[in-house]
Amino acid sequence: MGLNRKTEFSVSVVDLTKHYGELTALNGVTFNVPKGSIFGLLGPNGAGKTTTIKILTGLTRPTSGSANILGNDIVRDTIQAKKRIGVVPESSNIYEEMTAEQNLIFAAEMYGVARQERSRRTWELLEIFGLAERGGDMVAGFSRGMKRRLTIACGIVHRPEVLFLDEPTTGLDIQSALVLREQVRKLNAEGTTVLLTTHYLEEADQLCDTVAMINKGRIVALDSPERLKAGVIGSNIVDVSFSESVDEDELCRRCGLIEVHRLGDKLRLTVGGEVDVVGELIDYSRARGVRITSINTLKPSLEDAFLRITGLNPEEAGRDKEPVRMRRQDG
Amino acid sequence: MNIGEELARAWHLARKDMRVYYFKAPNFTYGLLMPVALYLAFSISGSLSPATLISGLVSLVILFGTMSIEAVSVVLEKQTGTFERLLTAPVSLLGIVLGKALAGFAIGPLTAVIVLIPVSIFSGTSVLSPLAVFVAICVSSFTFASMGILVSCFARWTPEAQMYSNFFRFPMAFLSGTFIPVESMPYFLQVFSRLLPLTYSIDAVREGLNNSYLTGGYLLDLGVLVLFSVAFMLVSVRVLERQMN
Repeated sequence: MGLNRKTEFSVSVVDLTKHYGELTALNGVTFNVPKGSIFGLLGPNGAGKTTTIKILTGLTRPTSGSANILGNDIVRDTIQAKKRIGVVPESSNIYEEMTAEQNLIFAAEMYGVARQERSRRTWELLEIFGLAERGGDMVAGFSRGMKRRLTIACGIVHRPEVLFLDEPTTGLDIQSALVLREQVRKLNAEGTTVLLTTHYLEEADQLCDTVAMINKGRIVALDSPERLKAGVIGSNIVDVSFSESVDEDELCRRCGLIEVHRLGDKLRLTVGGEVDVVGELIDYSRARGVRITSINTLKPSLEDAFLRITGLNPEEAGRDKEPVRMRRQDG
Repeated sequence: MNIGEELARAWHLARKDMRVYYFKAPNFTYGLLMPVALYLAFSISGSLSPATLISGLVSLVILFGTMSIEAVSVVLEKQTGTFERLLTAPVSLLGIVLGKALAGFAIGPLTAVIVLIPVSIFSGTSVLSPLAVFVAICVSSFTFASMGILVSCFARWTPEAQMYSNFFRFPMAFLSGTFIPVESMPYFLQVFSRLLPLTYSIDAVREGLNNSYLTGGYLLDLGVLVLFSVAFMLVSVRVLERQMN
């Protein structure tokens, strides 16, 4: 190969393992993040996403294996690696006793941004993130969305080559989330490699070039979102709701379904490729004396791929935290 | 990373800490009021010389002023999540600990001088070597700030840090010759007082007050305080490393 491995990948992780006492948080995780790409790390709670990010950002050391950021080993050349990365954690970690401007200046100082550049970049970012009018105000009075935007601005003030985003839009209103995603795309277009974790699979689908699905400390799938979705073959998904509640086991048996999950007031049916599900549902509803109030056939989504690959049901995937977002496109 | 970059980042961190923690009226005044109240309570008896009481008061002001903030500065940052921001920045753990200690180092002399000048004037005590006293104040500030950071590294939440802090501060205040001369204590307490950094701080300030030249005792006091500082910082780094892994 003509290309040097160090120039091909911004992040290289080889056989990463991390034990916390008896608990194995990561078990031989290996992946590469190509330079200039957006890479998503998906998985249920406790899968090992945060541990991976913690190791890659120098917050903890691996028990074994190696992780390399732009040619710098994160254990041996920690400071050199940290100089080239930006980190936006899941929770906003800005100083509430300081103004937005002071927070950004401090972040710039800690990453060695030249004195004459600090103020210019600070106000540029405050402008981009819609905080310029509040730049001189204490952060304590900011809304959650404003704090989140400022946290992200602090993570990129030094123009990192690799940006780690841990659940970047969790808890944000729709407009703020859209602005953030647009910023991520813009940063990426300018050459920043982005590694993000997210519970919002639709977000990963929209943003990522490659996603790694992690479960129980192991990578269980690693591919582009489109290829992962294309891998969900041999079955269709149908959302249906009835005028009255129906027995899910009976429905599954009578209509020859693979599985049934309740999602709020509707049921999500996984149907074998050969079944005429619409006809079966109409027959079932007539036999039970209930009306079908809505029915949607859906294309496989990244969420379907995620659930199929991890073997989890939607409730397990969202356990202990905000559930995996279920928005989909009708097909 | 080169030492210059490390020191620059430590200094930026110190300035941030001063802004966030030290220049807050309640924090600032607590560090002054508590030792002054103790001083007034014990000086009424009139059994101690002004130099002894002034050196004790100055050292107590530094101890309370720096340690009350430093003892919670790390744990507060852990609770709010901002400590993670420091840990992901390109600065070593030693640089972080140094930056936090530098904040105490910068504030300690300010509070000490606020107390020293009026008390010296009112008591008619002359300071024979102002420079030696100032250096002793600076070194003591750094030592007590480092001690506060060590306490803060161990604590998981703020009240726990405050409890540890008081556990060290109040016994030290009474066993280091602040109000009761060390020489008049039982022998085992005299030996014990030699394990306490406040003893050396009081001794060094007193040497500067009483002598117009540098004494061997003064230099020894400063040397011991520096050793305490280094030990506190290294142990703090070790504790943080263990917590991270």
